[in-house]
Amino acid sequence: MIKTIKASKSEKVLFIFLLSLAIFIFTFFFLLKNKCLFVEKINLNTLKFNEPNNIAVMNLECGNVIIELYPDISPKAVERFKILIKQKKYDGSAFYKVTENTFVQAGDIEYGNINNLDYSKIGSGKSGLGLLKSELSNDFIFTKGSIGFARTTEFDTEDSEFFITLKEIPIYQGEYTPIGKVIRGLDILGKIKTGNKSIYVLRPDHIKTFRMLKSN
Amino acid sequence: MKILILFILLFHISYVNADEIYNLLKIPNLEIYKLKNNNKIRYLSAKGNFKIGVNKNITCDKVNLNNLNSKFPLIEKNINLYNSSFLNKIKLKYIIFCQNLFISEINTGGIPDNKNRSLILDINFNQKYFERMIHHEIFHMIQNTHTKYFNEDKFSSFNQTSFNYSECSTCSDRLNLDLYENTDGFLTEYSKSIPSEDMAEIFSFLMTDKKTIKDKISKDKILSKKVNFIKSNLAKIDKNIL
Repeated sequence: MIKTIKASKSEKVLFIFLLSLAIFIFTFFFLLKNKCLFVEKINLNTLKFNEPNNIAVMNLECGNVIIELYPDISPKAVERFKILIKQKKYDGSAFYKVTENTFVQAGDIEYGNINNLDYSKIGSGKSGLGLLKSELSNDFIFTKGSIGFARTTEFDTEDSEFFITLKEIPIYQGEYTPIGKVIRGLDILGKIKTGNKSIYVLRPDHIKTFRMLKSN
Repeated sequence: MKILILFILLFHISYVNADEIYNLLKIPNLEIYKLKNNNKIRYLSAKGNFKIGVNKNITCDKVNLNNLNSKFPLIEKNINLYNSSFLNKIKLKYIIFCQNLFISEINTGGIPDNKNRSLILDINFNQKYFERMIHHEIFHMIQNTHTKYFNEDKFSSFNQTSFNYSECSTCSDRLNLDLYENTDGFLTEYSKSIPSEDMAEIFSFLMTDKKTIKDKISKDKILSKKVNFIKSNLAKIDKNIL
């Protein structure tokens, strides 16, 4: 006759502990590690825009970021931006310069593509289309989600790199050429990998695709 | 291995408190002190010590806010003597406050940087010369942006032929900033260091004490020529500055 062996109290405690541990590990690796878990998913088909020709869609790991461009404020800069988008030059572009809750920067076409990152030269790459004159606006305030053309310490050196502000940065007013503003998906930008206290990011996140909503 | 070293080097070099102001001016540890001003100048202050320059040869300490608050009205009064158009022409947009400013281990009142459109000011600089120092440093920005108007050879030719300036502003012991009783072509001992400092000294008195200049040039022909040189060339940039 087989005797039924009851688990002792300490064995029950150990079992519950191991079970809790397994649940914790599962949650940590499959749920909490998924940085895109609580990000709003944007369905482009449900959105309506006043000027669809000036809407661009940047697809990142966590979803789509919808951007409205401002050709009335910076015609030359927006024209350049659209050309680079249409030529798919921003696809794979790394967010190599990121400051937590402050700004993210990408768009180095020559040295900042995720498939061909050159850490020694990143930030100095050229688009091949030449430098642009700064189109500064003393009225444009860089609020959360504003997009500006990056430049060197000199004006009139804009080319392809751009940044997106993650908070209001009043000191940028009149300093950078405004390109547009994020109208949906700001929380996605907040998930982009930062460089901790370093301004540059090792193994950075990148733009999967960047397209105009209407291709004409 | 080579790549690893490159990574370590890159991320070691760029390890700074990177923020939006650093991104703009390449000076760490700054915060906004006052942004909206009639002449569009922007005041920033050091919230932490910083080291900048090619060999980190420029150092300055964070400001004590009570100290800055007490001195700011005087600074603002002097900076407000310049209109936004003039400041734009001389490429000055940011005044950066800090304490105990040193360049190559030499204490200095201010460091102008036309490239970054900024002027770093040591708010602890000797209060006796503080106002003059502000304008003195601003003159360097004027000269840097308008070299054709402030030709040093032409300016030096006003001196007696026996006089020679030093090789550089800090390689002589001519450092005293007190006004000479008997000017004899120079307002202060520091004026005798190099032509650009001589010009900057004249400009600083023109901005802070016109009456003294008027008295001095009535008895000093060399100084009179120098003052006229500065005034006439400044008028080419902006007629309303003096």
